[in-house]
Order: sequence, then C-alpha cells, then structure tokens
Amino acid sequence: MLDRPVSLPTPRVGQPPERGPIRLDLSWGGRDWTVWMVDVGLACCSVEVMAAALGSGASREAGELVHADPGAPVDVLVVSGTCTDVLAPAVRRLWKSLPAPTRVVSFGACSNTGGPYWDSYSVTKGIDQVLPVDVYVPGCPPRPQALLQALSLIDDAGAMP
Amino acid sequence: MSAADPRASRARGVIALLEQNCTVCMLCVRECPDWCIEIDSHTVTLPADETHRRPRTEAVLDRFAIDFGLCMYCGICVEVCPFDALHWSPVAEYAATSSAGLVHERDRLSSWEPTVPAPPALDLHAAVDDPGPRRATGRS
Amino acid sequence: MSTLASAVAAAVAGATMHEGFGPVTVDVPRERWRDGLAAAQTAGATFFDLLTAYDDAPAGLAVVVHLATPHLRDHLLVRTVVPDAIRELDTATGVYRGAAWHERETHEMFGIDFVGNARLDPLLLGADLGAAPLRKDFVLAARAARAWPGEKDPSDQGGRPRRRTVPPGVPTDWPEAGS
Repeated sequence: MLDRPVSLPTPRVGQPPERGPIRLDLSWGGRDWTVWMVDVGLACCSVEVMAAALGSGASREAGELVHADPGAPVDVLVVSGTCTDVLAPAVRRLWKSLPAPTRVVSFGACSNTGGPYWDSYSVTKGIDQVLPVDVYVPGCPPRPQALLQALSLIDDAGAMP
Repeated sequence: MSAADPRASRARGVIALLEQNCTVCMLCVRECPDWCIEIDSHTVTLPADETHRRPRTEAVLDRFAIDFGLCMYCGICVEVCPFDALHWSPVAEYAATSSAGLVHERDRLSSWEPTVPAPPALDLHAAVDDPGPRRATGRS
Repeated sequence: MSTLASAVAAAVAGATMHEGFGPVTVDVPRERWRDGLAAAQTAGATFFDLLTAYDDAPAGLAVVVHLATPHLRDHLLVRTVVPDAIRELDTATGVYRGAAWHERETHEMFGIDFVGNARLDPLLLGADLGAAPLRKDFVLAARAARAWPGEKDPSDQGGRPRRRTVPPGVPTDWPEAGS
C-alpha cells in the first residue's frame, strides 16, 4: 500500500490529454501480462480502478501511475461510475475516438445497469445503452481484484497482446 | 485471506443462498431497494399423517435469482431474512461477458455457500471450546 | 431559543418561528421573502450556505435557505411557500450573491422562477426532460412501468398475482404496460 500522496493529473475540458493510457501490469490466475487502459472515471467506482492501477506492478514500484504518451494505443476502456444522459454522448465520443479493437469494461453497478439509480430521471441505465461492452464487473464498488479478474476474461478471449 | 489480499472475512463480495432454510416468505424480494431479487414459487398440499393431524400447505421454491448487475450490496436482504437463508461471501471476482451473466440463479447462488466464512465467535474473549449459551431446559 | 431567529421573526410581519430537527426555522410570507433574508443578514447571519426547495403538496413548493453567523456560532433556516398557481419568488441574490447558483439548480429541479435572477440557464439536465423532476407530480416512470417482483406470492401458484400491490411511493394509477 502507498503511504504518501500521489500526484494525479488534473482534467481540463477541451484540452488534449497531457498523458496517455495507464499501464497495468497484471498477475492473475498464474499468468502475467500488461494492459494499457483509459479509465472514464465518472464516480466512486473510479477510486477502486485507481487503487487497482496504483497497486499493479510498474505503478506500484514507481509510486505513481505509469502513463504512455498521448496518442499511444489503448487496449481497454474502463467505464467506472454513474453515466448521466447528459454525459453519455461525451463517453461515446471518447470511445469512438479510440481505434478498434479497444475492449470496453463496464465497472460497477451504475455502468452495468444504472445500478441503484436505475429509476432515475437523469441516469443512463447502463453504459451498454451507448456503446458495446465486453466485460461487466459487478460491485458497488467492485474490489480492485475484480478488475484484474475481468481483464483476465478479456485476455482469455485472446484480444490482448 | 493472505498478506497480499488482506480481505476481511465480513467483506461483501457475493450473496450465497442456503436453500434448505428458505421458506419463500418473500421478505428479501420486497425489501430489496433495487428490486433485483426475483422469486418464483408454488404451494403444495401435504396430506395429514401420523405427526400432522391436518393437511398443510408448504411453499416450494421454483426460481431464486439475484441480478448482481443491479445489486448495490446494501445487505438488506441478508439482514431481513428471518431464516438465515442468505449469507455474505467475500468472493468478489465473478465478472461476466454479458449482462445476463450477472444474474445468478439458485444453483449458482447455492454454489457460493462453501465460500461463506464461519460467523465470528459470540464472545471475542471466549475460550476456544466454549459451548455457547445453554439451551433452556424448562427447569429452573 | 435562538436570538438570531427571534430577531428575524420580530423584524418581518407575518413571520413565525418553529423548532424542529436541527436549526430553528423562520417561516416568512412569500411577499416578504427579501425582507426576511435582509433581516437575517442584518441580525448577523452573513454566511449563506444553501438555497433549496421541497414539494410541500398541497400547499405548494417550500423554498428553504440555510444561513449562519461567522464561525458558525448560530444558524437558522428561513423558509417560504410558493403556491403551485404562482411558481414565482423574488431572487435572493440581491441579499446574498452566492444564491445565484443555487437558484439556477432549484429552478431546474422544481420549476420556480426566481424573479430578478437573469442566469437561470439549464445546469444538470438535458433539454428533453420537459418537466421539473423533483416535484411530486413527476412520476418515477421506471418504477411504475416495471412489475414489482415482491408482488408475487407462493399462493399464486405460478400464475398472475391476484392483487396488484406495490411498495410505497410507486404510482399505481398508470396504465399497465402494453394496454
């Protein structure tokens, strides 16, 4: 576990990203592999994604997230948190801007089905309403280990390098 | 669990069903704030026999499903069950490649039961072989 | 008794004071809304915390402001009721500039027009929602449309539930889906 503050980039609207996808060095089910991921951190679930990223291999050794350069290939798009109807087009625009075959992981109840807010006037009932999802991770929020298991399902499908 | 995964045994990973305890009272279904539990059932009439003077009806469980895509892990269903048929298990790794794969039917819910940890001791300072509270015998 | 709330209640004609949960509430008539807020500020409540509303049907919409003195030594709620037929209230921004953002959100969620606040643009919701969602007459469509799993009972024998029951708060006067 990290015992000192970690610097995370401040998002800015309309600006091109300063840093590229985050590197995840994963070890699950007896094998090791690397994934380059972009996390659409919409709400509380993104904290668990951050915990998974900061706990994995290269990031843990460096004490901070390891990023590729902006524009580097992205393996996985993780959608974590509650997507509102007003924000859904922006998430879809982001997904469309990534070259195929970027896999999509829906992380947490809100992005799976709308979760506890499935009856809300403003919440999209699952991010799979606006873009195709490859793996659904249950949880509210899911544990960081659940993200590792989910990424191993993608690796099983042979889509990861 | 281990030094690398110091997960508390009370961690809320998945909900397990102990089917023999379920009497189909429907309390978990009604109290779930997300409406993610679905139960189908029917009743059977058992005839009178040596131990029962009158015929009686009994509810039989047909379908018990929890949609973990909706579930927010509040634990209301586990708490409200009067017969302890639902239990928390710390297993959190059951992601699926489809939304339907997050709906666990009764067989899958029952299969989580072996992963449910033993309940904590009644008294943290009790001796290991403490038999627990004495059963009432009706005598003073 | 809070001296702050007493001072405000005394300064505004028609004001009443209530002690409920938490801070004392001073109810002022709708026409004296600005006077009530100005009286609170003069009495020392210079810290504006929030402005919000709730649907107090059938009386109307209750608009509530939470104010406090510096260092939060004392605080109070100032409240008024906006009848459904009127849906208008003087802006609080003439007294507390910080109310501007809160009035924008309350306007969007409850449909109250804050007269004098020129920036009541949409903030959080899409334009196609078409109604103020936090009013009680805004139906929670998803819960009305979906069959409640708790409706079933073992005695239904697997058939259609005999009585249509729903949890509290779910509207029952909607037509059945497909009819």
